[in-house]
Amino acid sequence: MADGNQMTLRKPQKPFYFNTSENLLRIGRQRAATLAELLEALRSCPEDSIFQHTFRTLQEHHFIRQGFSNDFAHWSVSACNEPVLAEQLASVDVREFTAIEGLRNRMVQIVDQFLKENPRAASHSGHEPFYFCASDIVVLPTSFVADSLPAFLDGLKKVSIHSIHHHFIEARLRLHLMSNDFSQWLEEELGLTHTADLIERIDIYTNTMEGVRQQIARSVEQVLN
Amino acid sequence: MSSNDHRDSTTVTAADSTATSPSRSGNQAERSSSVDARPERRNSPRTNERQLPSSLLTPPAPAPPPHLDDYRAIIGQADVDALRFLARDLKGKTIKMVNSTAVGGGVAEMLNRIVPLLSELEVPTQWDVITGGNDFFEITKAFHNALHGTKYDLTKAAQQIFLSYNEQNRQRMQFEQDLVVIHDPQPLGLIRSREKSPANWVWRCHIDLSNPDAHVWEFLRPFVEQFDAAIFSSQSFARQLPIPQYLFYPCIDPLSEKNKELPDSVVQKICDEFGIDRSRPIVTQVSRFDRLKDPVGVVHAYKLAKKYVDCQLVLAGGGASDDPEGAVVLQEVKQAADNDPDIIILDLPPWCALEINAIQRASTLVIQKSIKEGFGLTVTEALWKGKPTIAGAVGGIPNQIIHKLTGVLVHSVEGCAFQIRYLLTHPEFAQRIGSSGHEHVKENFLITTNVKRWLLLFRILEEARARKKH
Repeated sequence: MADGNQMTLRKPQKPFYFNTSENLLRIGRQRAATLAELLEALRSCPEDSIFQHTFRTLQEHHFIRQGFSNDFAHWSVSACNEPVLAEQLASVDVREFTAIEGLRNRMVQIVDQFLKENPRAASHSGHEPFYFCASDIVVLPTSFVADSLPAFLDGLKKVSIHSIHHHFIEARLRLHLMSNDFSQWLEEELGLTHTADLIERIDIYTNTMEGVRQQIARSVEQVLN
Repeated sequence: MSSNDHRDSTTVTAADSTATSPSRSGNQAERSSSVDARPERRNSPRTNERQLPSSLLTPPAPAPPPHLDDYRAIIGQADVDALRFLARDLKGKTIKMVNSTAVGGGVAEMLNRIVPLLSELEVPTQWDVITGGNDFFEITKAFHNALHGTKYDLTKAAQQIFLSYNEQNRQRMQFEQDLVVIHDPQPLGLIRSREKSPANWVWRCHIDLSNPDAHVWEFLRPFVEQFDAAIFSSQSFARQLPIPQYLFYPCIDPLSEKNKELPDSVVQKICDEFGIDRSRPIVTQVSRFDRLKDPVGVVHAYKLAKKYVDCQLVLAGGGASDDPEGAVVLQEVKQAADNDPDIIILDLPPWCALEINAIQRASTLVIQKSIKEGFGLTVTEALWKGKPTIAGAVGGIPNQIIHKLTGVLVHSVEGCAFQIRYLLTHPEFAQRIGSSGHEHVKENFLITTNVKRWLLLFRILEEARARKKH
């Protein structure tokens, strides 16, 4: 049942604090010149490198609607000219993972399988190496705190794209749940289960982050109207 | 027929200008040497060259630096707020930036904007410049080239001169701030003050260190290893070091003369002055007349494309009037242009930022077909203006151009020619990559992002130091 048909919205017990996160890119020690080296480094690199090249890079390219998924996929095609591997890596949805280790295992599995099927591809040098990086992250408050659904909508429309990414995409690594901060709050504090579910199902890979914001806002507006 | 007989290709030059200007180079040595090396060709007759408008013969007075709130319309209130929140925990802490030149070059240009913004955020920032004689700057210029890969015979005498001037500067300077940032190799010896200083020390390297002369790097490495962190402009420029290395992309200022929004009337006036026809497609490369920028390759690519599509080619740059090799390259470009009236060659002095801005804005496509490149800020400028951009896949350019998403990367004259044809005949695709390119710059390569990175680094280093104490 659509949440808009429910009776008067209840008052949230806890406000929604809009935060944001900013990151500084740290250049790692590992680099890969071939797909075999990429596989090796994927197995051994720090978790924050996996995070950087999947979750974070998605934020850095938030304005691209289609065609950019993660750095491993991008390097596979742009430097190694392996479009099949690139498509397989690009199909990995970071939101299916609530911990980095699972995401790492998936990436390793894809590259490993590809190299088993295409052993000659393992040692071809890419046009340029893959440089493993990581992020040092600082979480910051914003001036927006929502104690009602209209205030939530107002904050949603005014915070930065980084804040949307922080709450909508990175949240599952904090929550260790297949959800996001917005859906969690709407469901737990306002009982808006359907709206929470609609928001959780937004496709981040066919939308810009601004598009994601607008879709979330539309879902909330439907409740308010 | 000599190249001076080529009358149709239009070359606009500052040939008769007697004004001296800071060079585009990054240090004092480069300034000194470029003045000494000024070629005679300035006084030679160039009958096929048109004079620059008189207004361009001397540099304009610099505009006052903008305030943080001036950027609100560009990056949004939320991002300005984020800077203020980031700075809040650093309030009262201080920074010292040290480099080797106050004017001319990208580092000084960047510091001129960053320092006031950090201070406005209540993180008082002092900028000091080291001093040295010609002997010092000749050596540091050689170090600069050697770190870029040129072989260099590093003598004991050269080492001694480097160390001695660094020591003189070290004795003169105080390091009482909380963060000391040393830019590039010239002032590296100041790290010897670290023991008596309360600061975190950071080395900001603006140079590509991917293939340095081994002797020079081994001489400098022990200094670098004493810092708390190093910063590079690209992942590929970094070295294996025992200290954390961070990535700070170079940046542009969207409010500078070169990048600010311009009324169409200004763009039109400047195009009229240079004979650029805005009713037809304009393909532009902005760069010094330098072989590494491959301007001759651009002319060939244009000629290949012109068989299929109508367009003009504008080659706007400088370097021909203060660099003997630049003058030679300019002649090569004119020969390649071979009287084509649709090729417009502009040899502009370094202060023509507004003119470059207008030409970029008037362009249908922008090319940067470099063979070797640092970061490639001309690409950043073009992307910021939403221009579909074709560029060589070298240096820092692939950080900016994601192939077919924020621009197109090419590896040959033929590839460049094809992309000119394709983009001129597929305006929707061209518009889409131009628009994504603009967003890419907004997210990653603006001066406000650079300020954010400094604040983040400062906080991260302070937190690390606090953890060590406990």
